Amino acid sequence: MTPIIGVLTVIGLVCGLIIYLVYIKVPRRVKGIEKTEELNAILPGMNCGACGHPGCFAFAQALTADPGLITKTPCATMLQDLEKLKQLEKALGITLDASAMLKKALFHCNGNSEIICNYSGVNTCKAAAQLLSGYKKCPYACLGLGDCVKVCPENAIYIDPEKKVAIVDTEKCTGCGLCVPECPQDLIELVPAGTKIAFQCNYKPLRDVPGREKCDFGCTHCRKCFKACEYQAIEWHKEKALPEFNQEKCTLCLKCIEVCPQNTLADFTKAKKAAEAVTA
Amino acid sequence: MNELIAIFLGLVLINNFLLVRFLGLCSFFGVSTKLSNAVSMGVAVTFVMALASVVTWIIRHYILIPFNIEYMNIIVYILVIASLVQIVELFIKRTNLALYNAFGIYLPLITVNCAVLGVTLINATEDYSFLGSVAAALGGGLGYTLIMAMMSGIREKLEMANTPKTMKGIPIAFIIAMLLGLAFVGFVGMI
Repeated sequence: MTPIIGVLTVIGLVCGLIIYLVYIKVPRRVKGIEKTEELNAILPGMNCGACGHPGCFAFAQALTADPGLITKTPCATMLQDLEKLKQLEKALGITLDASAMLKKALFHCNGNSEIICNYSGVNTCKAAAQLLSGYKKCPYACLGLGDCVKVCPENAIYIDPEKKVAIVDTEKCTGCGLCVPECPQDLIELVPAGTKIAFQCNYKPLRDVPGREKCDFGCTHCRKCFKACEYQAIEWHKEKALPEFNQEKCTLCLKCIEVCPQNTLADFTKAKKAAEAVTA
Repeated sequence: MNELIAIFLGLVLINNFLLVRFLGLCSFFGVSTKLSNAVSMGVAVTFVMALASVVTWIIRHYILIPFNIEYMNIIVYILVIASLVQIVELFIKRTNLALYNAFGIYLPLITVNCAVLGVTLINATEDYSFLGSVAAALGGGLGYTLIMAMMSGIREKLEMANTPKTMKGIPIAFIIAMLLGLAFVGFVGMI
Protein backbone atom coordinates (compact mmCIF):
# COMPACT_ATOMS: atom_id res chain seq x y z
CA MET A 1 0.00 0.00 0.00
CA THR A 2 2.70 2.48 0.99
CA PRO A 3 4.66 2.45 -2.31
CA ILE A 4 1.43 3.33 -4.16
CA ILE A 5 0.84 6.39 -1.99
CA GLY A 6 4.50 7.33 -2.35
CA VAL A 7 4.46 7.02 -6.15
CA LEU A 8 1.22 8.98 -6.49
CA THR A 9 2.49 11.73 -4.18
CA VAL A 10 5.71 11.99 -6.18
CA ILE A 11 3.78 12.22 -9.46
CA GLY A 12 1.59 14.97 -8.00
CA LEU A 13 4.54 16.90 -6.63
CA VAL A 14 6.43 16.60 -9.92
CA CYS A 15 3.40 17.92 -11.85
CA GLY A 16 3.13 20.87 -9.45
CA LEU A 17 6.86 21.53 -9.68
CA ILE A 18 6.80 21.50 -13.48
CA ILE A 19 3.93 24.01 -13.55
CA TYR A 20 5.82 26.20 -11.09
CA LEU A 21 9.02 26.00 -13.15
CA VAL A 22 7.15 26.81 -16.35
CA TYR A 23 5.52 29.78 -14.59
CA ILE A 24 8.89 31.07 -13.42
CA LYS A 25 11.11 30.24 -16.38
CA VAL A 26 9.08 30.68 -19.57
CA PRO A 27 10.01 34.05 -21.05
CA ARG A 28 7.25 36.53 -21.69
CA ARG A 29 7.66 37.15 -25.40
CA VAL A 30 4.35 38.87 -26.08
CA LYS A 31 4.58 42.65 -26.03
CA GLY A 32 2.87 44.13 -22.98
CA ILE A 33 2.13 40.75 -21.36
CA GLU A 34 3.86 41.83 -18.12
CA LYS A 35 1.48 44.74 -17.86
CA THR A 36 -1.52 42.54 -18.67
CA GLU A 37 -0.51 40.03 -16.01
CA GLU A 38 0.08 42.82 -13.50
CA LEU A 39 -3.39 44.26 -14.19
CA ASN A 40 -4.91 40.78 -14.11
CA ALA A 41 -3.46 40.26 -10.64
CA ILE A 42 -5.08 43.49 -9.41
CA LEU A 43 -8.51 42.83 -10.97
CA PRO A 44 -10.94 40.87 -8.78
CA GLY A 45 -10.66 37.64 -10.79
CA MET A 46 -14.32 36.79 -10.40
CA ASN A 47 -14.87 36.75 -14.19
CA CYS A 48 -18.37 38.15 -13.62
CA GLY A 49 -18.50 39.78 -17.06
CA ALA A 50 -20.23 42.93 -15.85
CA CYS A 51 -17.66 45.16 -17.57
CA GLY A 52 -18.66 43.66 -20.93
CA HIS A 53 -15.49 41.60 -21.44
CA PRO A 54 -15.49 37.80 -21.38
CA GLY A 55 -13.39 37.69 -18.21
CA CYS A 56 -10.88 39.52 -16.05
CA PHE A 57 -7.92 38.53 -18.24
CA ALA A 58 -9.70 39.83 -21.36
CA PHE A 59 -10.45 43.07 -19.51
CA ALA A 60 -6.78 43.34 -18.51
CA GLN A 61 -5.82 42.84 -22.15
CA ALA A 62 -8.20 45.58 -23.25
CA LEU A 63 -6.86 47.88 -20.52
CA THR A 64 -3.29 47.29 -21.65
CA ALA A 65 -4.22 48.46 -25.11
CA ASP A 66 -6.30 51.42 -23.92
CA PRO A 67 -5.99 52.53 -20.25
CA GLY A 68 -8.79 55.06 -20.72
CA LEU A 69 -11.24 52.18 -21.04
CA ILE A 70 -11.52 51.98 -17.25
CA THR A 71 -13.66 55.13 -17.22
CA LYS A 72 -15.93 53.89 -20.00
CA THR A 73 -16.59 50.37 -18.77
CA PRO A 74 -15.44 50.46 -15.15
CA CYS A 75 -15.12 47.35 -13.05
CA ALA A 76 -17.86 47.76 -10.46
CA THR A 77 -16.21 45.47 -7.93
CA MET A 78 -12.96 47.45 -8.10
CA LEU A 79 -14.71 50.74 -7.38
CA GLN A 80 -15.75 49.42 -3.96
CA ASP A 81 -12.19 48.71 -2.91
CA LEU A 82 -10.23 51.96 -2.71
CA GLU A 83 -6.91 50.26 -1.97
CA LYS A 84 -7.08 48.09 -5.06
CA LEU A 85 -8.22 51.08 -7.07
CA LYS A 86 -5.06 52.93 -6.06
CA GLN A 87 -2.97 49.98 -7.23
CA LEU A 88 -4.85 50.04 -10.52
CA GLU A 89 -4.27 53.80 -10.88
CA LYS A 90 -0.57 53.22 -10.33
CA ALA A 91 -0.42 50.39 -12.85
CA LEU A 92 -2.34 52.32 -15.47
CA GLY A 93 -0.63 55.63 -14.80
CA ILE A 94 -3.84 57.66 -14.66
CA THR A 95 -5.90 59.13 -11.85
CA LEU A 96 -9.49 58.10 -11.40
CA ASP A 97 -12.43 59.82 -9.77
CA ALA A 98 -14.02 56.83 -8.11
CA SER A 99 -17.04 58.67 -6.71
CA ALA A 100 -18.02 59.96 -10.16
CA MET A 101 -17.67 56.51 -11.71
CA LEU A 102 -19.61 54.70 -9.04
CA LYS A 103 -23.11 53.73 -10.16
CA LYS A 104 -26.20 52.38 -8.49
CA ALA A 105 -29.17 50.51 -9.87
CA LEU A 106 -32.42 52.50 -9.92
CA PHE A 107 -35.75 50.77 -10.49
CA HIS A 108 -38.15 52.91 -12.47
CA CYS A 109 -41.28 51.58 -10.79
CA ASN A 110 -42.85 52.32 -7.42
CA GLY A 111 -44.91 49.15 -7.52
CA ASN A 112 -48.21 50.82 -6.72
CA SER A 113 -49.97 49.48 -9.79
CA GLU A 114 -52.96 47.28 -9.04
CA ILE A 115 -52.72 43.51 -9.38
CA ILE A 116 -55.57 42.61 -11.76
CA CYS A 117 -55.30 38.85 -11.94
CA ASN A 118 -53.71 35.95 -10.09
CA TYR A 119 -50.62 34.72 -11.87
CA SER A 120 -49.77 31.11 -11.16
CA GLY A 121 -47.44 30.31 -14.04
CA VAL A 122 -43.70 29.83 -14.12
CA ASN A 123 -42.25 31.90 -11.31
CA THR A 124 -40.06 34.27 -13.30
CA CYS A 125 -40.66 37.80 -14.53
CA LYS A 126 -39.70 36.80 -18.05
CA ALA A 127 -42.45 34.18 -18.21
CA ALA A 128 -45.03 36.47 -16.62
CA ALA A 129 -44.17 39.35 -18.96
CA GLN A 130 -44.98 37.22 -21.99
CA LEU A 131 -48.56 36.65 -20.83
CA LEU A 132 -50.51 39.81 -21.63
CA SER A 133 -47.60 41.98 -20.38
CA GLY A 134 -47.89 40.71 -16.84
CA TYR A 135 -50.56 40.55 -14.18
CA LYS A 136 -50.60 44.20 -13.12
CA LYS A 137 -52.76 46.98 -14.43
CA CYS A 138 -49.75 48.83 -15.81
CA PRO A 139 -48.18 46.72 -18.58
CA TYR A 140 -44.80 48.28 -17.81
CA ALA A 141 -44.79 47.66 -14.06
CA CYS A 142 -42.32 45.69 -12.01
CA LEU A 143 -43.64 42.13 -11.73
CA GLY A 144 -41.74 41.40 -8.54
CA LEU A 145 -40.94 37.77 -9.29
CA GLY A 146 -37.28 38.40 -8.72
CA ASP A 147 -35.35 37.71 -11.93
CA CYS A 148 -33.01 40.50 -10.81
CA VAL A 149 -32.68 39.07 -7.30
CA LYS A 150 -31.31 35.82 -8.69
CA VAL A 151 -28.45 37.43 -10.61
CA CYS A 152 -27.40 39.98 -7.98
CA PRO A 153 -23.97 38.89 -6.67
CA GLU A 154 -24.27 41.19 -3.64
CA ASN A 155 -27.81 40.17 -2.58
CA ALA A 156 -28.69 43.85 -2.73
CA ILE A 157 -32.17 43.50 -4.25
CA TYR A 158 -35.27 42.63 -2.22
CA ILE A 159 -38.86 42.04 -3.24
CA ASP A 160 -41.58 43.86 -1.33
CA PRO A 161 -44.01 40.97 -0.67
CA GLU A 162 -47.10 43.21 -0.52
CA LYS A 163 -46.54 45.47 -3.49
CA LYS A 164 -44.58 42.88 -5.49
CA VAL A 165 -41.88 45.34 -6.43
CA ALA A 166 -38.08 45.11 -6.39
CA ILE A 167 -36.22 47.39 -4.00
CA VAL A 168 -32.47 48.02 -4.03
CA ASP A 169 -30.28 48.41 -0.99
CA THR A 170 -28.05 51.17 -2.39
CA GLU A 171 -25.38 50.52 0.19
CA LYS A 172 -24.90 46.92 -0.94
CA CYS A 173 -25.37 47.66 -4.67
CA THR A 174 -22.04 47.92 -6.49
CA GLY A 175 -23.53 49.11 -9.76
CA CYS A 176 -22.22 46.12 -11.68
CA GLY A 177 -25.23 46.19 -14.02
CA LEU A 178 -25.80 42.44 -14.15
CA CYS A 179 -29.48 42.98 -13.30
CA VAL A 180 -30.13 45.45 -16.14
CA PRO A 181 -30.53 42.94 -19.00
CA GLU A 182 -32.50 40.55 -16.75
CA CYS A 183 -35.56 42.79 -16.40
CA PRO A 184 -38.11 42.01 -19.14
CA GLN A 185 -39.84 45.32 -18.39
CA ASP A 186 -36.60 47.28 -18.86
CA LEU A 187 -37.03 49.03 -15.53
CA ILE A 188 -33.48 49.12 -14.23
CA GLU A 189 -31.10 51.97 -15.00
CA LEU A 190 -27.60 52.53 -13.73
CA VAL A 191 -27.43 56.06 -12.34
CA PRO A 192 -24.51 57.93 -10.71
CA ALA A 193 -24.22 57.09 -7.02
CA GLY A 194 -24.82 60.74 -6.07
CA THR A 195 -28.34 60.78 -7.54
CA LYS A 196 -30.72 62.48 -5.12
CA ILE A 197 -34.24 62.16 -6.51
CA ALA A 198 -35.40 58.88 -7.98
CA PHE A 199 -38.03 58.98 -10.71
CA GLN A 200 -39.94 55.77 -10.09
CA CYS A 201 -41.94 55.24 -13.23
CA ASN A 202 -41.15 53.35 -16.41
CA TYR A 203 -40.74 56.48 -18.47
CA LYS A 204 -39.70 54.95 -21.78
CA PRO A 205 -43.12 53.77 -23.01
CA LEU A 206 -44.99 56.45 -21.10
CA ARG A 207 -44.39 58.89 -23.89
CA ASP A 208 -47.08 57.10 -25.93
CA VAL A 209 -49.35 55.86 -23.16
CA PRO A 210 -50.35 58.35 -20.49
CA GLY A 211 -49.66 56.88 -17.07
CA ARG A 212 -53.05 57.52 -15.58
CA GLU A 213 -54.88 55.14 -17.90
CA LYS A 214 -52.63 52.27 -17.05
CA CYS A 215 -51.45 52.85 -13.53
CA ASP A 216 -53.07 55.03 -10.92
CA PHE A 217 -49.67 55.97 -9.59
CA GLY A 218 -47.75 56.65 -12.81
CA CYS A 219 -46.39 59.98 -13.97
CA THR A 220 -49.15 62.07 -15.55
CA HIS A 221 -46.79 64.71 -16.89
CA CYS A 222 -48.46 67.40 -14.75
CA ARG A 223 -45.23 69.43 -14.30
CA LYS A 224 -45.96 70.10 -10.65
CA CYS A 225 -42.46 69.07 -9.60
CA PHE A 226 -40.97 71.34 -12.24
CA LYS A 227 -42.93 74.31 -10.96
CA ALA A 228 -42.33 73.55 -7.29
CA CYS A 229 -38.54 73.49 -7.49
CA GLU A 230 -37.04 76.71 -6.16
CA TYR A 231 -33.49 75.96 -7.19
CA GLN A 232 -34.00 75.33 -10.93
CA ALA A 233 -32.80 71.82 -10.35
CA ILE A 234 -35.57 70.30 -12.46
CA GLU A 235 -35.73 70.76 -16.19
CA TRP A 236 -38.65 69.68 -18.27
CA HIS A 237 -37.69 67.35 -21.09
CA LYS A 238 -40.13 68.30 -23.84
CA GLU A 239 -39.86 65.22 -25.98
CA LYS A 240 -40.15 62.71 -23.20
CA ALA A 241 -42.49 65.02 -21.24
CA LEU A 242 -40.64 64.09 -18.09
CA PRO A 243 -38.71 65.95 -15.38
CA GLU A 244 -34.93 65.82 -15.50
CA PHE A 245 -33.02 66.35 -12.30
CA ASN A 246 -29.84 68.36 -11.99
CA GLN A 247 -27.99 66.69 -9.12
CA GLU A 248 -25.66 69.61 -8.44
CA LYS A 249 -28.38 72.20 -8.03
CA CYS A 250 -30.67 69.93 -6.03
CA THR A 251 -30.57 70.69 -2.30
CA LEU A 252 -32.73 67.75 -1.29
CA CYS A 253 -35.50 70.05 -0.01
CA LEU A 254 -37.90 67.29 -1.10
CA LYS A 255 -40.55 69.79 -2.26
CA CYS A 256 -40.96 67.98 -5.56
CA ILE A 257 -41.71 64.75 -3.71
CA GLU A 258 -44.31 66.53 -1.59
CA VAL A 259 -46.18 68.05 -4.52
CA CYS A 260 -46.14 64.97 -6.73
CA PRO A 261 -49.77 63.82 -6.78
CA GLN A 262 -48.83 60.36 -8.00
CA ASN A 263 -46.07 59.35 -5.57
CA THR A 264 -43.76 58.88 -8.50
CA LEU A 265 -40.75 60.60 -6.94
CA ALA A 266 -38.70 59.28 -4.04
CA ASP A 267 -35.63 60.25 -2.07
CA PHE A 268 -32.88 58.09 -3.56
CA THR A 269 -30.51 58.78 -0.66
CA LYS A 270 -32.94 56.94 1.62
CA ALA A 271 -33.23 53.89 -0.62
CA LYS A 272 -31.33 51.85 1.95
CA LYS A 273 -33.99 52.57 4.58
CA ALA A 274 -36.74 51.52 2.20
CA ALA A 275 -34.91 48.24 1.62
CA GLU A 276 -34.49 47.74 5.37
CA ALA A 277 -38.19 48.33 5.95
CA VAL A 278 -38.99 45.49 3.53
CA THR A 279 -36.54 43.00 4.96
CA ALA A 280 -37.39 43.73 8.60
CA MET B 1 2.70 0.43 -40.65
CA ASN B 2 -0.59 -1.26 -41.59
CA GLU B 3 -1.45 -1.54 -37.93
CA LEU B 4 -0.93 2.20 -37.41
CA ILE B 5 -3.18 3.03 -40.35
CA ALA B 6 -5.79 0.63 -39.01
CA ILE B 7 -5.71 2.31 -35.58
CA PHE B 8 -5.85 5.79 -37.15
CA LEU B 9 -8.73 5.11 -39.54
CA GLY B 10 -10.51 3.01 -36.96
CA LEU B 11 -10.74 5.96 -34.58
CA VAL B 12 -11.59 8.49 -37.32
CA LEU B 13 -14.50 6.58 -38.85
CA ILE B 14 -15.44 3.31 -37.16
CA ASN B 15 -14.93 3.96 -33.46
CA ASN B 16 -15.52 7.67 -33.70
CA PHE B 17 -15.31 9.31 -30.28
CA LEU B 18 -18.42 11.44 -30.61
CA LEU B 19 -20.84 9.26 -32.53
CA VAL B 20 -19.88 5.71 -31.64
CA ARG B 21 -18.07 5.87 -28.30
CA PHE B 22 -20.14 8.82 -26.97
CA LEU B 23 -17.21 10.68 -25.42
CA GLY B 24 -16.87 14.48 -25.25
CA LEU B 25 -20.55 15.07 -25.94
CA CYS B 26 -20.90 18.30 -23.94
CA SER B 27 -18.62 20.18 -26.29
CA PHE B 28 -20.30 18.42 -29.23
CA PHE B 29 -23.50 20.37 -28.48
CA GLY B 30 -21.99 23.34 -26.67
CA VAL B 31 -19.38 24.50 -29.17
CA SER B 32 -20.90 23.35 -32.47
CA THR B 33 -22.96 26.46 -33.19
CA LYS B 34 -20.33 28.14 -35.39
CA LEU B 35 -18.01 26.43 -37.87
CA SER B 36 -14.94 28.51 -36.94
CA ASN B 37 -15.38 27.84 -33.21
CA ALA B 38 -15.94 24.14 -33.79
CA VAL B 39 -12.81 23.78 -35.90
CA SER B 40 -10.62 25.62 -33.39
CA MET B 41 -12.03 23.43 -30.62
CA GLY B 42 -11.24 20.37 -32.73
CA VAL B 43 -7.67 21.53 -33.35
CA ALA B 44 -7.18 22.20 -29.64
CA VAL B 45 -8.55 18.76 -28.73
CA THR B 46 -6.31 17.03 -31.27
CA PHE B 47 -3.28 18.88 -29.95
CA VAL B 48 -3.97 18.04 -26.31
CA MET B 49 -4.86 14.42 -27.19
CA ALA B 50 -1.54 13.91 -28.96
CA LEU B 51 0.43 15.46 -26.09
CA ALA B 52 -1.51 13.56 -23.45
CA SER B 53 -1.05 10.24 -25.27
CA VAL B 54 2.70 10.70 -25.46
CA VAL B 55 3.06 11.70 -21.81
CA THR B 56 0.69 9.07 -20.45
CA TRP B 57 2.37 6.36 -22.54
CA ILE B 58 5.71 7.28 -20.95
CA ILE B 59 4.18 7.37 -17.46
CA ARG B 60 2.37 4.08 -17.98
CA HIS B 61 5.43 2.20 -19.21
CA TYR B 62 8.06 3.71 -16.91
CA ILE B 63 6.11 4.34 -13.69
CA LEU B 64 2.78 2.53 -13.50
CA ILE B 65 3.81 -0.88 -14.89
CA PRO B 66 7.14 -1.17 -12.95
CA PHE B 67 5.39 -0.29 -9.69
CA ASN B 68 2.49 -2.57 -10.58
CA ILE B 69 -0.19 0.08 -10.03
CA GLU B 70 -1.85 0.16 -13.46
CA TYR B 71 -5.28 0.17 -11.80
CA MET B 72 -4.57 3.72 -10.59
CA ASN B 73 -4.31 4.95 -14.18
CA ILE B 74 -7.49 7.09 -14.16
CA ILE B 75 -6.31 9.23 -11.22
CA VAL B 76 -2.81 9.62 -12.60
CA TYR B 77 -4.02 10.40 -16.11
CA ILE B 78 -6.48 13.05 -14.90
CA LEU B 79 -3.71 14.72 -12.92
CA VAL B 80 -1.27 14.57 -15.82
CA ILE B 81 -3.75 15.87 -18.40
CA ALA B 82 -4.84 18.74 -16.15
CA SER B 83 -1.26 19.86 -15.47
CA LEU B 84 -0.37 19.42 -19.12
CA VAL B 85 -3.20 21.69 -20.23
CA GLN B 86 -2.17 24.27 -17.62
CA ILE B 87 1.41 24.22 -18.86
CA VAL B 88 0.36 24.52 -22.49
CA GLU B 89 -2.00 27.38 -21.65
CA LEU B 90 0.72 29.24 -19.76
CA PHE B 91 3.15 28.67 -22.60
CA ILE B 92 0.77 29.90 -25.33
CA LYS B 93 -0.29 32.89 -23.23
CA ARG B 94 3.27 34.15 -23.02
CA THR B 95 4.50 33.32 -26.49
CA ASN B 96 1.56 33.85 -28.83
CA LEU B 97 -1.31 35.94 -27.54
CA ALA B 98 -3.24 35.74 -30.84
CA LEU B 99 -3.27 31.94 -30.62
CA TYR B 100 -4.26 32.18 -26.95
CA ASN B 101 -7.21 34.40 -27.85
CA ALA B 102 -8.17 32.03 -30.66
CA PHE B 103 -8.19 29.05 -28.27
CA GLY B 104 -9.96 31.21 -25.70
CA ILE B 105 -12.02 29.21 -23.25
CA TYR B 106 -11.61 25.95 -25.19
CA LEU B 107 -8.18 25.10 -23.85
CA PRO B 108 -9.24 25.07 -20.16
CA LEU B 109 -12.45 23.30 -21.22
CA ILE B 110 -10.40 20.45 -22.64
CA THR B 111 -8.90 19.82 -19.18
CA VAL B 112 -12.14 18.12 -18.23
CA ASN B 113 -13.04 16.73 -21.66
CA CYS B 114 -13.66 13.01 -21.42
CA ALA B 115 -12.54 12.41 -25.03
CA VAL B 116 -8.96 13.26 -24.02
CA LEU B 117 -9.08 10.98 -20.98
CA GLY B 118 -10.82 8.40 -23.16
CA VAL B 119 -8.04 8.20 -25.72
CA THR B 120 -5.40 7.67 -23.03
CA LEU B 121 -7.47 4.94 -21.36
CA ILE B 122 -8.08 3.23 -24.72
CA ASN B 123 -4.31 3.30 -25.33
CA ALA B 124 -3.87 1.59 -21.97
CA THR B 125 -6.54 -1.09 -22.36
CA GLU B 126 -5.60 -1.92 -25.97
CA ASP B 127 -1.92 -1.78 -25.00
CA TYR B 128 -0.85 0.15 -28.10
CA SER B 129 2.81 0.76 -28.86
CA PHE B 130 4.22 4.30 -28.61
CA LEU B 131 3.55 5.11 -32.27
CA GLY B 132 0.22 3.30 -32.00
CA SER B 133 -0.95 5.58 -29.21
CA VAL B 134 0.14 8.67 -31.15
CA ALA B 135 -1.81 7.36 -34.17
CA ALA B 136 -4.82 6.72 -31.93
CA ALA B 137 -4.64 10.27 -30.54
CA LEU B 138 -4.34 11.83 -34.00
CA GLY B 139 -7.14 9.63 -35.34
CA GLY B 140 -9.38 10.40 -32.40
CA GLY B 141 -8.67 14.13 -32.71
CA LEU B 142 -9.27 14.14 -36.44
CA GLY B 143 -12.50 12.19 -36.01
CA TYR B 144 -13.61 14.67 -33.35
CA THR B 145 -12.76 17.66 -35.57
CA LEU B 146 -14.52 16.05 -38.55
CA ILE B 147 -17.78 15.49 -36.68
CA MET B 148 -17.61 18.92 -35.02
CA ALA B 149 -17.14 20.56 -38.44
CA MET B 150 -20.01 18.56 -39.96
CA MET B 151 -22.34 19.26 -37.08
CA SER B 152 -21.57 22.99 -36.91
CA GLY B 153 -21.86 23.35 -40.69
CA ILE B 154 -25.32 21.77 -40.59
CA ARG B 155 -26.35 23.81 -37.57
CA GLU B 156 -25.24 27.05 -39.23
CA LYS B 157 -27.48 26.23 -42.22
CA LEU B 158 -30.31 25.24 -39.88
CA GLU B 159 -30.30 28.73 -38.37
CA MET B 160 -31.67 29.97 -41.69
CA ALA B 161 -34.03 27.05 -42.24
CA ASN B 162 -37.71 27.26 -41.42
CA THR B 163 -37.78 24.73 -38.58
CA PRO B 164 -40.94 24.39 -36.47
CA LYS B 165 -40.88 26.64 -33.42
CA THR B 166 -40.72 23.80 -30.91
CA MET B 167 -37.80 22.20 -32.73
CA LYS B 168 -35.57 25.30 -32.95
CA GLY B 169 -32.14 25.13 -31.36
CA ILE B 170 -31.21 22.10 -29.27
CA PRO B 171 -34.05 19.68 -30.25
CA ILE B 172 -33.23 19.81 -33.96
CA ALA B 173 -29.53 19.50 -33.07
CA PHE B 174 -30.26 16.21 -31.32
CA ILE B 175 -32.12 14.91 -34.37
CA ILE B 176 -29.18 15.93 -36.58
CA ALA B 177 -26.84 14.13 -34.19
CA MET B 178 -28.99 11.01 -34.46
CA LEU B 179 -28.90 11.09 -38.28
CA LEU B 180 -25.13 11.61 -38.25
CA GLY B 181 -24.77 8.71 -35.82
CA LEU B 182 -26.88 6.47 -38.06
CA ALA B 183 -24.69 7.37 -41.03
CA PHE B 184 -21.59 6.37 -39.08
CA VAL B 185 -23.08 3.02 -38.13
CA GLY B 186 -22.55 2.19 -41.81
CA PHE B 187 -18.78 2.08 -41.23
CA VAL B 188 -19.02 -0.60 -38.56
CA GLY B 189 -17.19 -3.78 -39.54
CA MET B 190 -15.05 -2.21 -42.25
CA ILE B 191 -11.79 -3.07 -40.48
